[in-house]
Amino acid sequence: MTFDINENEPTVSITVVGASGDLAKKKIFPALFALYYEDCLPQQFTIYGYARSKMTDADLRNMVSKTLTCRIDKRENCTEKMEQFLKKCFYHSGQYDSPENFAELDQKLKEHEGGRVSNRLFYLSIPPNIFIDSVRCASLSASSGNGWTRVIVEKPFGRDSESSAALTKALKQYLEEDQIFRIDHYLGKELVENLSVLRFSNLIFEPLWSRQYIRNVQLIFSEDFGTEGRGGYFDNYGIIRDIMQNHLLQILALFAMETPVSLDAEDIRNEKVKVLRSMRPLQLENMVVGQYKSHTKGGVTYPAYTDDKTVPDDSLTPTFAAAALFIDNARWDGVPFLMKAGKALHNKRAEIRVQFRHVPGNLYNQNFGTDLDRATNELVIRVQPDEAIYLKINNKVPGLGMRLDRSNLNLHYAARYSKEIPDAYERLLLDAVEGERRLFIRSDELDAAWALFTPLLKELEEKKIIPEYYPYGSRGPVGAHYLAAKYNVRWGDGVDQ
Amino acid sequence: MASQFGYCSSSSTTFTPSSFKNETHLSSRFNIVPRKSHSSTSISLIRLRIRPRKHFQLKSSSGHPLNAVSLQDGTAGVPLAKNDMEPQGKEESLPFSQSENVGPHLSITIVGASGDLAKKKIFPALFALYYEDWLPENFIVFGYARTKMTDEELRNMISRTLTCRIDQRENCEDKMDRFLKRCFYHSGQYDSEEHFAELNRKLQEKEAGKLSNRLFYLSIPPNIFVNVVKCASLRASSTSGWTRVIVEKPFGRDSESSGELTRCLKLYLTEDQIFRIDHYLGKELVENLSVLRFSNLVFEPLWSRNYIRNVQLIFSEDFGTEGRGGYFDNYGIIRDIMQNHLLQILALFAMETPVSLDAEDIRNEKVKVLRSMRPLQLEDVAVGQYKGHSKGGKSYPAYTDDPTVPNNSLTPTFAAAALFINNARWDGVPFLMKAGKALHTKRAEIRVQFRHVPGNLYKRNFGTDLDKATNDLVLRVQPDEAIYLKINNKVPGLGMRLDRSDLNLLYRARYSREIPDAYERLLLDAVEGERRLFIRSDELDAAWALFTPLLKELEQKKIVPELYPYGSRGPVGAHYLAAKHNVRWGDLSGEDS
Repeated sequence: MTFDINENEPTVSITVVGASGDLAKKKIFPALFALYYEDCLPQQFTIYGYARSKMTDADLRNMVSKTLTCRIDKRENCTEKMEQFLKKCFYHSGQYDSPENFAELDQKLKEHEGGRVSNRLFYLSIPPNIFIDSVRCASLSASSGNGWTRVIVEKPFGRDSESSAALTKALKQYLEEDQIFRIDHYLGKELVENLSVLRFSNLIFEPLWSRQYIRNVQLIFSEDFGTEGRGGYFDNYGIIRDIMQNHLLQILALFAMETPVSLDAEDIRNEKVKVLRSMRPLQLENMVVGQYKSHTKGGVTYPAYTDDKTVPDDSLTPTFAAAALFIDNARWDGVPFLMKAGKALHNKRAEIRVQFRHVPGNLYNQNFGTDLDRATNELVIRVQPDEAIYLKINNKVPGLGMRLDRSNLNLHYAARYSKEIPDAYERLLLDAVEGERRLFIRSDELDAAWALFTPLLKELEEKKIIPEYYPYGSRGPVGAHYLAAKYNVRWGDGVDQ
Repeated sequence: MASQFGYCSSSSTTFTPSSFKNETHLSSRFNIVPRKSHSSTSISLIRLRIRPRKHFQLKSSSGHPLNAVSLQDGTAGVPLAKNDMEPQGKEESLPFSQSENVGPHLSITIVGASGDLAKKKIFPALFALYYEDWLPENFIVFGYARTKMTDEELRNMISRTLTCRIDQRENCEDKMDRFLKRCFYHSGQYDSEEHFAELNRKLQEKEAGKLSNRLFYLSIPPNIFVNVVKCASLRASSTSGWTRVIVEKPFGRDSESSGELTRCLKLYLTEDQIFRIDHYLGKELVENLSVLRFSNLVFEPLWSRNYIRNVQLIFSEDFGTEGRGGYFDNYGIIRDIMQNHLLQILALFAMETPVSLDAEDIRNEKVKVLRSMRPLQLEDVAVGQYKGHSKGGKSYPAYTDDPTVPNNSLTPTFAAAALFINNARWDGVPFLMKAGKALHTKRAEIRVQFRHVPGNLYKRNFGTDLDKATNDLVLRVQPDEAIYLKINNKVPGLGMRLDRSDLNLLYRARYSREIPDAYERLLLDAVEGERRLFIRSDELDAAWALFTPLLKELEQKKIVPELYPYGSRGPVGAHYLAAKHNVRWGDLSGEDS
């Protein structure tokens, strides 16, 4: 990646709308700095923070510098690089719904662009209720006159089919489909990116990738903390919208899709949409919801979800959910895809587990006891923490006699790759700058995703389904086990460690 | 014709066919016990082995008063045991475990006890088995050789080579003393029936009238195999239990001599008394090969010409004959390594799923593979011999510098071969073998190279030769036992760069226990009558049939081996042979060291 120093080289102006927010401070500015540090950004770039707070450029730089970190493997010149980076950061204070304020921003951007071809990227790091206002103002008053203008939007993309469609419709009043970059930061995770590489560049996996060999697939997400005083936003959405309908479903689609014609964004997204559209909308009986309650352990008391001051006392919002999904196509007919997501559980992890069928007519049956399904092969892709891929195989325990156990064929990233793995936001920001849409969600994908979850979500709310309570820090409600048992599945994450 | 009688001593011809019949009948009668209960033993054996130490105790708690008595009081057990064994009809109804329960006596005789193999491998293996409580309660070990020695001298000699498993050093001294007390020595000629009769008397003394099984381990040169078998069989067979004989390679040097050896052995032994050892089959990862294939869903669908591009069986040693080339020169690397060790692994690798894990079922499948193979052609083989080499001021000798090797020897110390199995599963898949001495590394491994991904989406990440980025499954038999699967993986970071990483199972990291030596496993199997890892006569015939024409041609045409420097990667001819079949040796690709 080399960039010639050229007067005619286009400039890129990145405007972080909502620059004083948490996400901007913790993720976006550090990601931009990392890209800059690694020379991934074009030579000519400017970063603008935009928010309502009154701040000077120096104030912004001060704020940003507190959260910037350098890649641990290349600390040299870090301070110097940081100073250079901060010199390219500016701030403009304005209202999110004011075309005038955005026009002022436009003026400032033009100054920096100095008459070159200018591309502009807006990152909307703001609450959903002001999405449209900002898009309208930015599009009308601060679009690039001679280059591209792209807008990155973060979840939530609505809270059901209708509101999502309304949002899309509103966005499209001001933007073309190819200007909208809907970010799902899970798609920027290293191992999610690697999923397609594993499937499509290795001969040994693809033959196994179907109902003929795969018994079930598990998509597991857990956090070991609760809302911790920030439940206001969450309470309106719940874990299903916050994690399942987007992150886990996206991974599922990537996992299950047919081989795309090419690696082009449109080809991949076409295949993902096909998977989503082949899926049965979720039924209430295929879902278990839970909410954490307080728990005292070792003298420390952990709060219940409803103890959070920003959460109503009678909230029924699920902080845990498990679901069984099915893809009614030739490849996956009858294979349960189980999802599980929860807050305030005993550990923090995200992983994909593929459980294979048992060996038909296994010669070693007598070594396995009565339940053959407990000794099957399993492929585990651990997205976080400690990225790893491992394949559980049955192996002879060395020694005299014939005792079998399950060992792992293991690829532990920390052991194999010394480089630090970049944050998902770095990859996604870079892709947006480069116009690579593979990891962003297209409007029809989003529609299909909502179509699967909306009926269920409505039913949960209308019927006021009471979540099953589980103690803070536990393994979640036992209901998840019963749901799994119904489809002859055993959660794989309970077995390890 | 003269060579056909090479193995049988002249005295053997004095026996009339009927007299053989009587002898073999006698010995086979006592083989009925393990054989008839065969189907039940194979199951219980596996179960039994899971709980080694409790072996006998468990039985005593199974509620048979008969057994309880025999265990608590050894002498009381004797008559009961006899009663159990003698009436044939009754015996069949007895479950195997119960008859074992009375604790039959086991006598292991190492014929050639003063030899190298006995000292380095057999006695230590027996001690390890004893240490880990795998041997029956009542056992003795007899050394037999021509050297005059006392029991004490034998013990002295053995004690120097005995080692304890590093992970369990406690009571080692103590255990060693107790083991040595069970070791005895008898000096005698290998062809003297009288001397074996003397041995028999000594054995009988120790056995004290108990039901006794006898295992003979022939650790002697092949030219006296048959003499010893004759004497041992006629004079020192067990009269109350089984008699088994373990023989080591070489099993002849071509189809004829091997056939003759088998014929001669069978004059005195029935097939199921003969335990032909191939110590490679006792290696942990070779044992694990079947487990991998048949107990994992993910491998079997890939195990055919549809997905496998080629299979490589690689053996290398980093030293030459080092003054011990006398035996080797008469055989060469093809007979010494390929025709037995590598071919056996190949058969296990390529066989169809057997009906069960029983020895006969597995060996039936192995024979089928061998019989489906094309006999080797001269053009499918590259042979080499190491020459002297100086490196870093140090000079390494040529093969022919070995004083025990003729100066004009053409014996190959290296060979590479391409073999093909003409059956539905493997048609067209090259199985490449490579074996050599005095190479740059010491290793034994099986490498499976898979085909390239058809219509690979990531093609442009791989350059022009798609076959260079295929999946490989590697089973490293030694050193550092490991299984790994090479996969294409994204290099973490921005952008899309792929490389090959390993899904890895390094035994040392996963299993803290020391892996037992192959000889321990094989000796134990012989004691337990588990024949899975031993080579049946028809297997041996089939194996020789593949190699004999080639070996004869090599010798008749006096094919000159390609010379390669001591400590090198072997002759380049191996690469050309591989290239001819579109294969690239996986061990020399530079990715693995």
